[in-house]
Parts: sequence; structure tokens; C-alpha cells
Amino acid sequence: MNNTMSDKNILQKDHLVPLLRRLNKDYRMVLPVRNSSGDTLFAEVETLDGCRIDLDSQTLASAKHYLFPQLETLFKYRISADGGYSFEPVCEAEPTIFFGLRSCDLAAILYMDVIFLQKTKDPYYLQKRQNAILISLGCTEPFANCFCNATRSGPFLEYGFDLQFTDLGDRYFVETGRVSGGEIVRRYSHYFTPASEKDSKDQYQASLEARGRFKRQVHVDQATKRLQAEDVPESIWTELSLRCQDCGGCAYICPTCTCFTIRDQPCSAQEGERLRAWDACTFAGFTRMAGGHNPVQHRTQAIRKRFLHKLLHDVEKHGRSSCVGCGRCVDMCFGGVDIVRCVAMINELQ
Amino acid sequence: MPYRLENNSYLPIAATIEKILVENSQIKTFVLSFNNREFNESFSYLPGQFMMVSIPHCGEAPISFSSTPTRPGTIHLSVRRAGVLTDAMHELDEGAVIGLRGPFGRPFPVDQLQNRNLLFVAGGIGLAPLRSVINYCLDQEEGGYGQKLILYGSRTPDDIAFAEDLRAWQQVDDCRCMLTVDQGSPDWQGNVGLVTTLLDAVDLDIRRSMALVCGPPLMIRFVLAKLSHLGFKEKNIITTLERHMKCGFGVCGHCYMDDKLVCVDGPVFSHADLIELDVLELRP
Amino acid sequence: MAGLATTFGSGAMTNSINEIENSQVILVSGSNTTDTHPQVARRILAAVDRGAKLIVIDPRRTRMAEYAHIHLAIRPGTDIPLLNAMMRIILDENLVDDVFIEMRTENFHALRDMLYRMDLQETVSITGVPLEDISRAARRYARAQKAVICYCLGVTQHICGTDNVQNYSNLAMLTGHVEQEDTGVDPLRGHSNVQGACDMGALPAVFPGYQPAADPEARAKFSRAWKTELPEKPGLTLLDMTHGGPGGAVRGMVIVGENPMLSDPTLGKVKKTLEGLDFLAVSDLYLTETAVMADVVFPAASFAEKTGTITNSERRVQLVRQAIAPVGSCLPDYRIIMELSGRLGFAMEYDSPAEIMEEIALLTPIYGGIYHDRLEAGWGLQWPCTDRSHPGTPFLHKYSFTRGRGHFSPTRHLPPSETPDEEYPMILITGRFYHHFHTGTMTRKSPTLIREGGGAIVQVHAADAEVLRVRNGDQVTITSRRGTITVQVEISDQVSQGNLFTTFHFAEAPVNELTVDARDPRAQCPEYKISAVRIEKAGP
Repeated sequence: MNNTMSDKNILQKDHLVPLLRRLNKDYRMVLPVRNSSGDTLFAEVETLDGCRIDLDSQTLASAKHYLFPQLETLFKYRISADGGYSFEPVCEAEPTIFFGLRSCDLAAILYMDVIFLQKTKDPYYLQKRQNAILISLGCTEPFANCFCNATRSGPFLEYGFDLQFTDLGDRYFVETGRVSGGEIVRRYSHYFTPASEKDSKDQYQASLEARGRFKRQVHVDQATKRLQAEDVPESIWTELSLRCQDCGGCAYICPTCTCFTIRDQPCSAQEGERLRAWDACTFAGFTRMAGGHNPVQHRTQAIRKRFLHKLLHDVEKHGRSSCVGCGRCVDMCFGGVDIVRCVAMINELQ
Repeated sequence: MPYRLENNSYLPIAATIEKILVENSQIKTFVLSFNNREFNESFSYLPGQFMMVSIPHCGEAPISFSSTPTRPGTIHLSVRRAGVLTDAMHELDEGAVIGLRGPFGRPFPVDQLQNRNLLFVAGGIGLAPLRSVINYCLDQEEGGYGQKLILYGSRTPDDIAFAEDLRAWQQVDDCRCMLTVDQGSPDWQGNVGLVTTLLDAVDLDIRRSMALVCGPPLMIRFVLAKLSHLGFKEKNIITTLERHMKCGFGVCGHCYMDDKLVCVDGPVFSHADLIELDVLELRP
Repeated sequence: MAGLATTFGSGAMTNSINEIENSQVILVSGSNTTDTHPQVARRILAAVDRGAKLIVIDPRRTRMAEYAHIHLAIRPGTDIPLLNAMMRIILDENLVDDVFIEMRTENFHALRDMLYRMDLQETVSITGVPLEDISRAARRYARAQKAVICYCLGVTQHICGTDNVQNYSNLAMLTGHVEQEDTGVDPLRGHSNVQGACDMGALPAVFPGYQPAADPEARAKFSRAWKTELPEKPGLTLLDMTHGGPGGAVRGMVIVGENPMLSDPTLGKVKKTLEGLDFLAVSDLYLTETAVMADVVFPAASFAEKTGTITNSERRVQLVRQAIAPVGSCLPDYRIIMELSGRLGFAMEYDSPAEIMEEIALLTPIYGGIYHDRLEAGWGLQWPCTDRSHPGTPFLHKYSFTRGRGHFSPTRHLPPSETPDEEYPMILITGRFYHHFHTGTMTRKSPTLIREGGGAIVQVHAADAEVLRVRNGDQVTITSRRGTITVQVEISDQVSQGNLFTTFHFAEAPVNELTVDARDPRAQCPEYKISAVRIEKAGP
């Protein structure tokens, strides 16, 4: 390995697109792209020509669906006349660079790693994850609904990324996190120069200033403490439940919601596919058993279950809240049943 | 570029229905063996665990073992008709092939049962997983199990399932069965009343006893309460819970109970485990 | 729509949906808004967050009603007396907007006289709502600077539907709550693009843009454009067609994207009519209950497989772009119509939906400036949009009503066509649930919606359930003078004692076997909301 590359480097802004173009020749690339309707979304980029890369806006959705698709075929099955029942797994994964992930979305991927890669590993997630190189862009300017400082998932991370970019105005500060990140810097070393002391200081300064620019103060830890103390009345959940219109949008847009259902989709009398699809714990059918019993009383308990999961149970199970402070549920929810409102309601209690 | 997936826990293994035992109008016991002989021989499980059962075009559902691993070669899955998949399964004949994944779940703490009196309390299909652990204990002479008392409640006399096992258990030394039905019939001469009423007749030395309970949620609630009342310590009352499940190994999220997953942290729990949690079966 | 057309001169939402957020008082009537118009409910909730007061008029305790500051749980079919009572109270307490009445309206004296002659207590007792609550609601609404009325099918699906709407307009004009930004009368349409369909003249007596067929100039214009003579007399209404009977005047039908065998009232009549036709063609996405009866079925392209426009409740025309190629041999509706028309001797040649839009713009003044290229960028255009440079119209009647002055139309209570009696003692209300859309043609194909939407149920009040000795999940039969269905019970506090509620989403419990075929004489809207029925526990 070439030891002359350090783990802190500089990429001149002018050289970003050329680097991406070069990377695109060797890897599948997923970048934040602004489409013709003016929406910025992660998109697979075939060619950088005519592609409007947007590193200034928050992507409407995270990159969750690239590692955990909304609809995914697990395997094809076939029933044969002689009584056979056979299964053929389907899984495709290509080496992919995700560029421009915000810290919150990257922290969400680290959470997904915990869920999908337990003792029994989810092979479909594993394949895509092992083939993913994560290059994040720390946020020097948090967006309107952001509160990653409160969930300790940004604006900059200490680890988990392969490379973390910081925008220093005319150049990017590029930190190597994991081995694959170092590989990229080494392979394309002619684009990078080692960072100086001043560069490091500027980066540190930028990350400090970012912390002061949040437009929302969301006291997540405080809410967790109150939930732990069981100091939260039912009326909060009743009010939130009344506002919830049962669309499931929060679960679908949330970068750390990973619940899914599995079903068979017949294609003919003898063949079919077993699919998995995103699911939401706020749906009544999520817990309803055959025969009709439902351990969760939908009207009053589904919303409570969702927020307790994010703010309390994941803290108890994994040591930290699974909310990454991206703020997307705030804009998504029709009824205003977002985690920001929930935390505010919990904390407003006397 | 497609990858070959090793260790794919979502992939079922084909198994053939060797025999079907009709327990009652709603419950059938399927005797199964895996089509791959080697796999069948090396397959192992413990009472209290479950398999995810695949029926073509119907998806999957979790079914507990009702057989004991001390009688290897086949496994028994006792299934009650309750929905699309179980209805379809009941339409299958001997010789049909289904898919199985597993074993999943935390088993009954069979070590803790040694040298104890055992009280089994079952309602309806709840006798199925208990049948597994009852036969497991009866097969192990060196377990040093004490008195064994099996209390079993059914809706009506026609709903009594596992009649053969009940007869066999009654024949065993130190093992007694007591049955009750919610609603009697002209021919029925036995107890009438909920299974909780049988608990009054329990004459075991509670301090040296473990209780294992399985049945509908409401029954579990009342039985657990009554057992506590009789003097059973919470850690000595064991139950097994049912939930809507999809993956069976802790990823899909359907079986969360607070921060516990019924498929991984259960389905076997002690009453002590459950007291801390917000659980349907214990809700007042 | 007919109601608003008479009072204001135009039958569409007077405001835009986002203006609702700025209201101070929102009066929601006959609308289960969270379930059927979530985007509107969103604005209502946002307004309430900002301090707005919400009044809900609904026989049922819907989510919206639970959320409301005041819920007026009227007896079904008593909107007119309720509003008359409210208006009388507003008069009595001197909360009218004199200036507005003077300058912008006519015929106020007729309304005022009728209200003064009315016995308030008697009127109130018809509604089943305490006077106290009606007064509170009246005062709230009248005193607000900006107040909005949102109504939906609970108001219109009555034999007095048109009169109901006119009375809401009366209320709005009485208090000056119309004709400005953030205030007005807003009907929520029952189906996406019902507005568009009406705009395009899918009504018996008008051409596109509500240009009357009886108007010789309009007729001449379209005759020139389409090179054929056009009729002057109105055509048939929906029920004229589907209830015409097997020997009726209509011998052949082409049904496009509609499932009358499940959605029309009094299904028995529909069945006889369709069976008696010489020829039936149906164009739809799936083989519906109506399509199976057809001689010919045209597979139609779905929204994702074609380009065109949809016009919503707030008169906004939006472009819907094709995303995938039509699957199999299905075709967009315009192609099917062109192909049929050509074979019937009237050749139509449009190369694209954009070209069709150009002709619409040419012949329809309110759509005069709406072209596909203008719709590409941005969020569509709200009519009236009269030429290419016109930016569209967010709210109507800004300086004057379309008809000049708003016209007060006093109305009296008209009892429903069928009221409960000894044989049929309960009222059946029909409507929609959240997870399914109409007859479930599309939604009952989605696994998640099937899981969440469940099966057919009827909401029964606990007291009624006790008398009937039914529990949750039991099967019951519901019978009316016209038919009977079997359906599962859900004990619910959303319905009042004596009322039942079920939906028309489920073919296995076709509720329209039971409904009346009486309709509003002007709007021709069937009285889906009230049928007299009896309910019994079903056999084992």
C-alpha cells in the first residue's frame, strides 16, 4: 500500500466532477441529482453529462432503498407436477459508490447494519452493503427541519464513512474513515493533495460553526428520560393518534425504518416469487394475527409504539435513539405526527 | 451480476407430509420429514421452538413443534385452521410437499425443569407446543422430574385434541391429566368450566414446581394471575406467546414487544420476563 | 354543483385548497375529510394548529368530528333546518354582514322573511341537535373574519342535495364569507377528475366549459368545429340511463371507467337495464362487475400508462405524464374513443393528448389558456384561465359573482324519500373507508390495502347491537324494500343509535342493492345517504 497518502486530504472543487466522472467509469454511482420537477433525489447516474448534481439541498428521500429496496424479490419458487417445491434465490449487487450522503443518512445506514447484520445475517442486505462505498458530505449548513446534533448523528461523524467530505468554500476536506475510503484516495491519488494544518483547522472550524446553525432545538435525550421514567400521560398518544391519517409515509420516508412484510406473488399456477416489501408499524395489519387478535390496539397504541421504539426501546437495546434527526417526517406527515412534535409534546409536560 | 447466496435464512427447505393426524375438526397434526435425507438426519431442535411453514402461493406462518427431538426422524407440526395459509394447509394430502425454515426461537428451559414437579396448563391449540415438552420430559428418565399434572381446557368435548397423547400420559406413573370444557354436551361427564377452575385442584408442592402455560391470550392472562395467587414465583411460570411473524429471526420487526422480539427473545418467556413489558396477554 | 351555480353562478370551489390553512373558522359538512380528502384534512389540521376553530356537521362521529371544537351530529337529511336555525340565530343576534348583503347580493328579503316566520324550536328539534350547540356554531362562524365551508357528498347525496348546497351558500353570503382570499364555499369532489369530466361537458345539458347546449351561439360554435349538427335538447342523466329498464329507450351503451353494477343505487334496476340492452361495451382496467356483463371489453390504460390532465376540486388542471408503456394491448381512452368513432362514421384525428388540449383551449373559454407546454413547468393552472398569458385564478368571485350578484335562495326542509318505519326502523348511511377507493377495482388488488382495508363491515351502535344480540364480528343481514345483503358487524361509537354505516367498496356485500333510487331533481344525485332498513342477526 502506498503510504504517502495520509488519511486527511484536499480535493479542489474544480476537480470534483472530473473525479466523479473518473469514478463513474469504474463504479456504479449514486448521487444527489436535481430532476426536471426541481426535486433533489439520490439517483443512479449513467453519465455525468447533463446531470444536475445538487450538493446544496437535502434529498427528499434517503439512500435507504438502495440497500433495502422498497420491493425486493427474495427468491422464485416453483411447484412441479411430481410434488416438487423448489426455490431459486435472486440477488444482484454491483460495486456502487454513494456520494453526497449527509451524516444523518449515513448514520441511518450504520443503524441498518445493526438490524440486518445480527447473528443471523440478512444476505440480501449484506451483498449490497459489502458492495457499497459510502462517501458522505458533512453539513456546514443544516436544513430547516434538521436536528442531527440532538441525535448525535451529525452534522459531522467520527466514523462509519469510507470518506467524509467537508466543504471549505473553494475546496473539500476529505477524511478517510474505512479501508475502502483509503483505497479510493490511493487509486485516484492524483486528484488529491495531503491536507495541511490550516486545512484541518478550517475543517474543525466549519464543523463547530455548523453546530450553531440549527434552526430547531429538539431535546431528544430529555424526551427519552421522561419515557424511561414513565412520566408521559396517555393523552399525548391520544392526540397524536387522532391526527394520524394512517398513510405509513413516516415509516417509508424514515431512513431508519426497516420493517418489512413478506408475501408470495403467484405468476402462474406453478410459479411465483416471494417478495419482501416495506411495512409500517403504524398499520393495523402489521401486528394483526390470523383469527383477528391484535396485540396492538390500533387506534390508541400504534403511534405510541412507533415513537417508543425510536425514542426508548432502541435506546435500551442499542444504546442510542434510532432517530437520526433528518427532519423528513416533519414535511411528510399530513397530520403533523412527526417525531419533532412528539418530542416537544413530551417535553412540554410539567 | 447475480451472486450465489450462502446461508440464506429466507430460503425454505422442502419437506414431505408423511402422515396427517386429524385431532379435531379444526386441528390437524402434520408428520413431516425433509426431502433431503442427510438434512433430515442431522436436523435438531428443542421443545418450544418453531418453524416458518411455506405453503405454495400462500406465504409463510410460524408453527411450533408439537413433537419432541427425543423421537427423531420426523417432526410434528400441529396446525389450527385460522386463515388463508392454515386453511390451504388443511387441504393438503399426505405426500404433499411444503417448505420449512428453522428452527427459530428460544426453547423451553428444559434444564430448569429437572428435579421439579411440572404443571402443564393448556387451552385449545395451546396443548401443541406443550405436547412437545411433555413428551420430551417423559422420554428422559434421567431428568428426575417429579409429579406431572396436565390441565387441558377445550371449548366443547368435540374440540378435545391429542386424545391419543392424553390417554398415553394418563398411563404414565406420576402423571395425571385433568380435562375440562367450556360448554358440555349430553354425553360429557367430565368437568365443565374454564381451565382456571382446574387450578383449584392442584395439589403439588408449589415450591418445587414449575408451571408451563399455553393458550389464547385471555386464558394466559387469567392462568398466570391465578398461578401467582397459588404461590408460584414469577420466574417459575413459563409461557409461550403467539405473534404475527414474517422472518422468524429478528429482522422484519413484526413481533416487537417493547424492545424484545418474540421470535428471538421468545416465544418462550417466563412470567418474570413479561412483567416488565407492555404485553397483550397481561394487559388488564 | 347545481346549487352553487344558481346562487353564485359557478359550481366549483371558490378558494384554493391551501387557503384553507389561513381560515379562522372552518365548517366541514358531510365530509369524512381525513379518510377521503387527506390533503384537505392536512390543511384543516394546520389551520387548527394556528388557532382556527373547527365545526363539523355529520351524523357520524368521524375522525374530523372528534377533532372538532363543535360537532353537530344531525339526524341524516336535516341540513336545511340546521342551517335555517343557524341563520335565524345570526339574524337575531345581529351578526349579518349588512354591507356585503347590500352591495353583493339580491333577494335577501325573501330569506329574511322566511327565517323570521320560522319556529326556531320546531326547526331545531327536527335536527336532533341541542339549540345551545347550534347557537355556538352559528356565532363562531358568523363572527370570524375568514371562514370557509367545506362540504362533500354528505350534503349532496340527498333528494334535497341542491337545496342543501344553496343553503350553505345562503349562510356564506349572509355573513359575507365568500368572495375573498381565504374565505368561501368549497365543495370537495367525490372522485379525482370528476371536476375535469364536468368541465369537459360530461353532463346532459352542457358543452365543455358549461356552455349550454340550449344556447344557439354555443351550439353553432361546436357544430362548426366538429362539422356536425349538435342536439339542442339535454341528454339523459346517469340514472335515466342505468335505471331505464330493459325496455327503455337506450338500446346500447359504452361504459368507460365506471362500475354501475356496484356504485349505482338500487342495483336491481341497474342489472335489469344492462341485461336488457342490445349491446354493451365496457372500457376499464380490470374485469369489473359491470365489465363481465359486456359484449365487448376494451382494456384501458391506467394513469401510469398515458399522458393527460386531471382537474381537481380547486379547479387546478395538472398534467399527468406517461411513466411506462401500456401493458399488453391496453390503450388510453382517447385512442379507444377515436377508434370507435372512426368505425361509427365520424373520423377523429388527434395525434396526441396535447393536440386535444389545444382544441379544448380553442373552444372552452375557462380553459382558454391551458396548454400542455404551460402545464409542464410548475403546479398546473386553475381555471378560469382565458388565454396564454393568463396566470390562472386561485379564488373565484373576487369582485363579483360570476352571475353578477349572489342570489339568496330560501329553502325549506324536505324529508328524505324514505324515513324509518316499523318494518324498516333504521337508517342506513353509505360512504367510504380510508383504504379502499369506490368499488375497489384497483385497491382490492393491492396486498397492503387488502390487509388494511379488511372486508365489508357495517358500523352498529353498541345499544342497537345489544338489542339485536350481536357481537363484534357476527354476521347480520340488512334488508330494505329493494334487497338484502349479509355483512359483518363492527360495534362502533362513530354511528348514533338508530343509524348504520357501511361502504360500497365490497362486491360481496353490494350495499346498493339496498339504496333508494330517489334523486335530487336538479342535480340528479341519488339519495345514497338515507335508506330505511332493518337488520337481523344472520343464521349460523
